[in-house]
Amino acid sequence: MALTHEFSRRRLLAGAAAFGGGLLLPGKAPAYGGAKPFSGVTLNVSTFNAPFARILTKWLPEFEEATGARVVYDTPAFPVYNQRADLELSTGGAAYDVLNITFIYSSRWIGAGWFTPLDDYIRDANRTPADWDVEDFLPGLRAPESDKAGRLYGIPWTVDTFISGASRFDLFKNAGLGLPDTTDELITALKAVHGKEKVAGFVTDNHYGWTFVPFLQAFGGNVFRNPPDDLTPVLDTPEVVAAAEYFARILKEFGPNGVLSYTEDQALQALQNGRANYSAIGQTYLSQVGGPNSRTASTVAYSPVVRGPAGRFPGVATHGLGIPAASKNKDAAWAFIQWALSKKNTRRAIVEERYASPTRRSDFESAEFKRIATVNGYDLSEIIASAVDLAARQGHMKYRTVPVYPQVDQQLNKAIANIVSGQLSPKQAIEQAQAGSITDLRRAGVAI
Amino acid sequence: MAFLNPARPKAERAPAGWEQTRRRAYLAGLLPALVVLGVITLLPGLFLLGVSLTPLSLVNPGTVFDFSDPLGNYRELLRDGRFHNSVLLQLHLSATSVGLQLAVGLGVALLLNVRARFFEAIRAAFLIPMVLPPIVVALIWKILYTPDVSPLHRLLEEAGLPIDSLITDPTLAIWAIAVAETWQWFPFTMLMVLATLQLIPDEPLEAARIDGANRWQVFRHIILAYLRPALVVCGLFRLIDSLKAFPLIYVLTNGGPGTATEVTNYYGFIEAFNFSYWGYASAIAVLMLGGVFAVSWLVGRLGWNEVHHD
Repeated sequence: MALTHEFSRRRLLAGAAAFGGGLLLPGKAPAYGGAKPFSGVTLNVSTFNAPFARILTKWLPEFEEATGARVVYDTPAFPVYNQRADLELSTGGAAYDVLNITFIYSSRWIGAGWFTPLDDYIRDANRTPADWDVEDFLPGLRAPESDKAGRLYGIPWTVDTFISGASRFDLFKNAGLGLPDTTDELITALKAVHGKEKVAGFVTDNHYGWTFVPFLQAFGGNVFRNPPDDLTPVLDTPEVVAAAEYFARILKEFGPNGVLSYTEDQALQALQNGRANYSAIGQTYLSQVGGPNSRTASTVAYSPVVRGPAGRFPGVATHGLGIPAASKNKDAAWAFIQWALSKKNTRRAIVEERYASPTRRSDFESAEFKRIATVNGYDLSEIIASAVDLAARQGHMKYRTVPVYPQVDQQLNKAIANIVSGQLSPKQAIEQAQAGSITDLRRAGVAI
Repeated sequence: MAFLNPARPKAERAPAGWEQTRRRAYLAGLLPALVVLGVITLLPGLFLLGVSLTPLSLVNPGTVFDFSDPLGNYRELLRDGRFHNSVLLQLHLSATSVGLQLAVGLGVALLLNVRARFFEAIRAAFLIPMVLPPIVVALIWKILYTPDVSPLHRLLEEAGLPIDSLITDPTLAIWAIAVAETWQWFPFTMLMVLATLQLIPDEPLEAARIDGANRWQVFRHIILAYLRPALVVCGLFRLIDSLKAFPLIYVLTNGGPGTATEVTNYYGFIEAFNFSYWGYASAIAVLMLGGVFAVSWLVGRLGWNEVHHD
């Protein structure tokens, strides 16, 4: 165990034991009889800006009061965070003590040894109370935060699952339709509702490396041959071409004008304002269509992502809090992670802040979460939990956490945009994506 | 001081000593600027060049000193179709946007070159786009180009002339960026041209008119001759700056649709920040730097920035 000069092991153990008790009383933690275990420590924490990060920022004084540590919490935008963290971690810098392990970088950051394994901290009763219960975090969310040997590096704090929904389900009902369950039913439904009352039939955001892949897999394709062991791209198969043709069609025929430039926020706005109807997109966005600021809250309906000939493959992305290998305040950093994701605090986020993206099974199954996740009569908690379980069972998200996925992700973005904008046929675009991915992966030193 | 003493025989050598002292003083005065130049500009530039000769990737930081195949990145760039496409797009965007900026800037400056209070008052308004932060400009145009929130699209729709989104059309997207770039930077040309117009002496203009020259002939043979150096300098500045049209592309098109607006600097950004190929991205940056030097040299060599009177 690496101890800093500021405190001894004895002092740490005494403090940690007291702190463990304090975890059960967030907001009311005593000052441990004046023994604040991390007095004088400045913890530098950074995650991208997200609802849970904002909630934690609000509660930070409680942690500081309980431990004596001072926390500097930095929450830049997602792309900025990733670039900054990537650079910081690669140079072995010790500027941060707690960092978000971004889903798409998890394999790269963990595989390169840039994060600290947390298993010893979790097993040590002096550092972690038994009822903190790491097993309570859904296994499907812990998997991407672990290495091949099963060691855990990040504790999941948010999950985004790919779900479907119709903001103007009344138009579906008027056409005598329910929510589609298969890719074929989706086409039938979109034909029936597109353009009705000037509402575009379909919208999703232009990050196709995320939004297209559930369709790609539903048609029986995959991104790599056998991730993470065999990273040979397999995009040039008839299944992927068929999926690309299908996906480009629903964007082109049923999407709003300029759909290729739609970000997640724009797609959400179009759904909330009733300018677009059906979407397949992350739950953190789609759930907001039923929120208080939405004009379509009373007509929204939800369902799992449609299944294709090969089955149902909802995308699941998670992010975890981890400790950079070079951190000089690892014990305080672990105390922070424990506090942030204690049972009390994750439940409190749901109850007090209506936090809609929990990662603990106990939260998913709680009456409190059921209440906030029931939108217009639809139980999102069930759709989300079943998507997470399905991903864990099928292992279909393994493609996304390999170190070179960002390269292929972008090839897919370009392929779909090229098809929808009429620059290339589906076959040409997919072949180009395959060739481009191979070139990019070879440049990264991947043996293909 | 020796040279003040006429009795001393070495007085003749005094000027040489003085010259040496003068040189030392000159160097001492110059040294801080040289140090700043070296540390802030040349060293990072040299580091960039050095990194471009390595296969450095953030996943493998140890390769920062791997010079085993120094020309590997450059060889790879010769084969990289996406890079070639990005260079062509860069040339297209630069030529289009700089041409538009010069034409619009010149036109507006000629219109505003009137001694009237109203025109003097509105001159300042034309400068607003130029002083806005680039990201604000990008957001303004993102709104204008996004059909479901755009006042421009709404107006056209009301008039019965609906148009498809410009930034998702592969042939128009680069023009859409050029228009936004022009909107931001034509005031620079306008300002330079206005200043030059006010320096043109009256005599040649009067002489031409007395000789019977019409308005076009006066403009073509006298005014334009005076303006040419200013226009060339503006063009060169804007050309160099057009290579940095990053925020507009990042916000408006993300290089798309497909690779329709993926110009060289954006491609370099992707290679560095999305994929962490720092060596490869540095090689792209070095080639861009070389291109800028070549353009600057060519303009100077052709003498376009010198005044010629017909």
